[in-house]
Amino acid sequence: MNRIFAIAHNTFREAVRNKILYSLLFFAVVLIVSALALGELTLGEQVRLTRDLGLYGIDIFGVLIAIFLGVNLLYKELSLKTIYTILPKPLYRFEFVAGKWIGMLVTLAIQFAVMGAVLYFALFLQDADFELQTAKALFLLYLNVMVITSIALVFSSFSSPFLSGIFALGVFVVGRSISDLQMIGNRAGGMTKSLIQASTYVIPNLNVFFPSGTIVGAERVTVNGQFVNSAYLVDATIYGVGYSLIALFVAIVIFNRRDFV
Amino acid sequence: MSSDVVLSAEQLKKTFRIGFLRKRVEAVKDVSFRVHRGEIFGFLGPNGAGKTTTMKMLMGLIYPTSGRGEVLGRKVGDVDAKRRMGYLPETPYFYEYLSVEEFLDFAGSLSGVKGPERRKRRDALISRVGLDHARGRPLRKYSKGMLQRAGIAQSLMGDPELVVLDEPMTGLDPIGRKEIRDLMLELRREGRTVFFSTHILHDVELTCDRVAIVVAGRLRSEGTLGQLLSARLLSTSVVLIPGPEGLPDLPAGTIRMENGGQLELQIPATVDVNQFLGAALSRQCSVVSVVPRRESLEDVFVREAQAPVATASEVKT
Repeated sequence: MNRIFAIAHNTFREAVRNKILYSLLFFAVVLIVSALALGELTLGEQVRLTRDLGLYGIDIFGVLIAIFLGVNLLYKELSLKTIYTILPKPLYRFEFVAGKWIGMLVTLAIQFAVMGAVLYFALFLQDADFELQTAKALFLLYLNVMVITSIALVFSSFSSPFLSGIFALGVFVVGRSISDLQMIGNRAGGMTKSLIQASTYVIPNLNVFFPSGTIVGAERVTVNGQFVNSAYLVDATIYGVGYSLIALFVAIVIFNRRDFV
Repeated sequence: MSSDVVLSAEQLKKTFRIGFLRKRVEAVKDVSFRVHRGEIFGFLGPNGAGKTTTMKMLMGLIYPTSGRGEVLGRKVGDVDAKRRMGYLPETPYFYEYLSVEEFLDFAGSLSGVKGPERRKRRDALISRVGLDHARGRPLRKYSKGMLQRAGIAQSLMGDPELVVLDEPMTGLDPIGRKEIRDLMLELRREGRTVFFSTHILHDVELTCDRVAIVVAGRLRSEGTLGQLLSARLLSTSVVLIPGPEGLPDLPAGTIRMENGGQLELQIPATVDVNQFLGAALSRQCSVVSVVPRRESLEDVFVREAQAPVATASEVKT
C-alpha cells in the first residue's frame, strides 16, 4: 500500500507542478466569474444563471482536465522513459498503474474542490441561500470525470495521447447522448437497434451524472429546485466507481502485458 | 542455482514484431551467463548487440520470447529480489520536476526504506555522489554527468546487494568516467556485486573481474580477462633513431612509420628482436623504446565482433 501511495503522491506532485493544469483551472474560474457578470444582466434569475453556467463550466473544463490528465498519465512515463527507473524498483506493475490512477483522482478532486469553492463564493456574492444541490451536482460531475479519466487511462495504456484524447472525447460525447441514441435505435429497429444496444453495454451512460432536467423516479429534477436524493447519489457512485474500477482493471491487464523497449 | 550466483541468464531470446507487417526482428538470439557474488561483471558488445534488451529482460521491463533469468535466486520480477537490487537505466531519464532530494526520497519509499533511515541514506548518498551543492535544484537543470550521479544514487537507495548499471560511462568526460569506475570498485569493496554494460573497453580492463561479450544477439565469450586475453606475443614495437651508418636490414613483415627523426617499427612475433636490436646498436642506432604487444581486450572484442556467428555450444570461456 505504501508503494501505491508513493506513486500516487508523485503523480499528484507532478500535476501540481504542471502549468497547463493551472491554465485550465484559470479558464474554469474565469467562466464561473463571467457567469456572475452575466447573472447581473438578468432580472431575478441571477442565482439560477450563475449556478447553471458555473456548473456547465466546471463540467466542460473538468472533462478537458480529466482527458488531459488521463491520456498523458502512462504515456508520459513511457515517452520520457521514467518507467525504466521505476518498474525495476520493488513494486508490481499493477501497483504502479493503481498509484497513478489514485494520484490522478486526488488531483481531480482538488481541482473540483477549488472550482466548487469559487462557484459557492460567486453564489454567496449574489446573496443566494446555502443549499446542498450544488454540492450534489458537483459530486456527480466529479464521478463523471472519474469515469472519463479512467477510460482515457485505458486508451493511454496502448495508444498515443492524441488518439487517446480523441477516443476519450468520443466516449464522452456518445456517453452523454446515449438516451438519444437509444431513442433513434428504437425508431430504426433491426441492425441499428442491436448495434446501439450492444454499445450501451460498453459505453457508460454519462447522463446518470448530469440528471438536471431529466425525470428521476416520477419527478423532473433540476439543480435549481427539486434535485436528486441520497439514494440516487449512492446508485450513481456505485455505477461511476464500478465502471472506473473495470476500466482500471483493463488498463492494468494491457499494461502488464507490455514490453518497455 | 548456486547461492554464489546472484544474476543469471539462461538461453535468453527476444524477438520483436515491428511495423504494420509485423516484421520479426531478433534482438537477442541466445544469451546465457552467470554473475557471481562480489564481482564486477562487464557485459560488452558493440552498439545494437542486444545488451540493453538483455538487461531489460533481467530487470522485468521486457518479457523474453524464451529462456529464463534469475535475480538473487528468484525469478525475474520477484519483488523481494528487486528489493535487494538497484538499477540504473541507459542514459538517465528521471522526473525532471523533482529535486535530487525528492527523487531519492521517492526511490527510497518505493524500496520500502522507512522515514528517518530514508532521510539519513538520502543525505549520505547525495554527499557520496557529490551533489550536495545542487540538492534542492530541479533535475531538469542538471548536466548529464550530474544526472548520471543522481541515477547511481537512486540505484543505491535500497542498500542493494546487486547493482545493475546500463552503460554508466556513456557521455561522461574522463573525470566523470573515473569517478564511476572508482565508485564501482568501492561498491565491490563493500561486498556488493556490480553488473554493468559498456562498449568502452578501457573501463572494463580497469574494473572487471569477469566479462561476457555479446555480438549480434549471441554470447560470444565469457570469462575472466586472463582467460579471454591470450598471453601470446602479437608483435614488438621498437622506436629508434637511425645511426650514421643507417639501419640494419628490416626483418620481413616489419611495418615502418616515421615520426620526426624517430622510426617506429612493428616487428612480427616470429622475428628474433634481440638479434635485430644487436644489429641496430652495432650501427650506432639509438634505441628509444622496446614494447612487446600482446592481445588486448580490444583485439578480442574486434575479433569476436567480426567472427562468423557461433552456436551456443561454441561459446568460449
